[in-house]
Amino acid sequence: MEGIIAIWQRDMIKFFRDRARMIGSFSMPILFLVVFGVGMGGAMESLVASGIGTDEDFNYVEFIFPGIVSMTLLMTSVFSSLSVIQDRDFGYMREILVSPVSRVNIALGKMLGSASVAFVQGVMMFVLMPFLGISIDLVTLLQLLPVMFMIACAFSSLGLLVASLLNSMQGFQLVVNILVMPMIFLSGALFPLSNMPGWVDFIVTLNPVTYGVDLMKNIMIDVDNLSATVQEEMGLNLTFFGQPVTMTGEVFFLLGFTALLILLATLMFRRKN
Amino acid sequence: MIDVQGLQKSYKDFQAVNNSNFHVEEGEIFGFLGPNGAGKSTTINILSTMLQPTSGSVTINGYDVTKHQNRVRESIGIIFQQNTLDEKLTAKENLKLHCKFYGVPRSKRKARINEVLEIVDLTDSINLLVEKFSGGMQRRLEIARGLLHYPKVLFLDEPTVGLDPQTRAHVWEYILKLKENENITMFLTTHYLDEAEISDRIAIMDHGDIIAIDTPRNLKQQLGGDIVEIKTTDNEAAMKEIESDFDVVDLSLQDGFINCKVENSDAFVSSFIKTLQTPLTGLDIRKPTLNDVFLSFTGREIRD
Repeated sequence: MEGIIAIWQRDMIKFFRDRARMIGSFSMPILFLVVFGVGMGGAMESLVASGIGTDEDFNYVEFIFPGIVSMTLLMTSVFSSLSVIQDRDFGYMREILVSPVSRVNIALGKMLGSASVAFVQGVMMFVLMPFLGISIDLVTLLQLLPVMFMIACAFSSLGLLVASLLNSMQGFQLVVNILVMPMIFLSGALFPLSNMPGWVDFIVTLNPVTYGVDLMKNIMIDVDNLSATVQEEMGLNLTFFGQPVTMTGEVFFLLGFTALLILLATLMFRRKN
Repeated sequence: MIDVQGLQKSYKDFQAVNNSNFHVEEGEIFGFLGPNGAGKSTTINILSTMLQPTSGSVTINGYDVTKHQNRVRESIGIIFQQNTLDEKLTAKENLKLHCKFYGVPRSKRKARINEVLEIVDLTDSINLLVEKFSGGMQRRLEIARGLLHYPKVLFLDEPTVGLDPQTRAHVWEYILKLKENENITMFLTTHYLDEAEISDRIAIMDHGDIIAIDTPRNLKQQLGGDIVEIKTTDNEAAMKEIESDFDVVDLSLQDGFINCKVENSDAFVSSFIKTLQTPLTGLDIRKPTLNDVFLSFTGREIRD
């Protein structure tokens, strides 16, 4: 148990010590927020409005903000987990691996470290809310925080598994290109994913980011007050192979996903030594 | 303390370690030498639970390295060839994390950290980031860290590689101090054969086999003895005297010196000085070095 805390603590100390990285990791989400929120916002809003045929008050930025926060969680989680590769290159991993800390606790500690870093970054995105004209009440916030941490855990375990499979930092860019970007684009984080071809739909259904984003939206946006057509247009009616998706279902999906990937990552740690 | 029996490690088409047997006593400094690729690292990795052996049994502190990995891990400390400190953390943070990895009781941590820092003379640098440390300081900090959980066995894998001669000497000073004060068993590999002299016993490994295992002294004696160089006022007379009175392996005159090769120079010189009639003007004893030993066993220099 103490081993988990130690590994987690190390990641936290290093995160708060490295201000440049903290600020740098905001650049991407802010860029996306500007491009998609402000740039495409008008077009999206009129598109949706014309689709519904009413001029119901609909704020695209409000729709996209949970998506951008999820994206921050995903990118920070994955990038932080990749520090495992750095630990291997710089030798610190050996110090951990020869210690009596069990392999499962090493994986858990690393996962929690990355997840906490991502969580802090995600929460820091809330600073932007006043500038976007979005507000959040305390109850919503209290519901949101544990969900965000759980999502960060799921994404971190994914990053950890990828890191344990990669042999060098060279693979890093590849991971970003073939894994992280498609996961963001095919999750409904940036634009609604309604009326997609079947194979895209299939990927969307298996993409854990989809459920993270959907959970966040359901908590942050007052979904019940939107008309059925807007809900449909904005892709809020997710289905899982024909079954409508509930929030409880999403939570279980993400927890199961995390458990499975931690297990696989642990096996990788065991095999590597 | 360390018991290795019938240890083998083979990869697909390559036998890294071949039926090795050896035993290391408690409190002993055990030198483990061999050219690159001899199977040293493989052996160390198996002893430190980082690698599974193909067959054979290894016990450390009474625990089997394959069955009781965590018990073994608690019993050993390792100073790696490669730096394994976190340079972005302070010395204190590095040591604290180590205490947590090894479950050092919370109440004892502070005292232990101060204690090990004292051993390696780094008390003043406790709150400094490790990246600000010099190479020698980092090494010393690693040694300190390896001692934090009071290991029974300390593995030192090339502990002085890449350090300047002065720092090297320093590091050995600390290591010897440890042996005297803490009675820790040490398993040591090094490329510097003069450094291996501090070992109580040495094993030489080549091509996956242990080809010699003995005290440095005995190993050197196996080479056929020491060379005593003698200069006298009358070398011819002295040579005759030596030939008739002493048991020497080889005797020759070279550049005004009499070269005697004897099995044991200590015994030879002490009696020789007492009995020699011809006045002595010069005496030099050259013992074979570990390098000579290494060369004779493996047929090559350690660095080849």
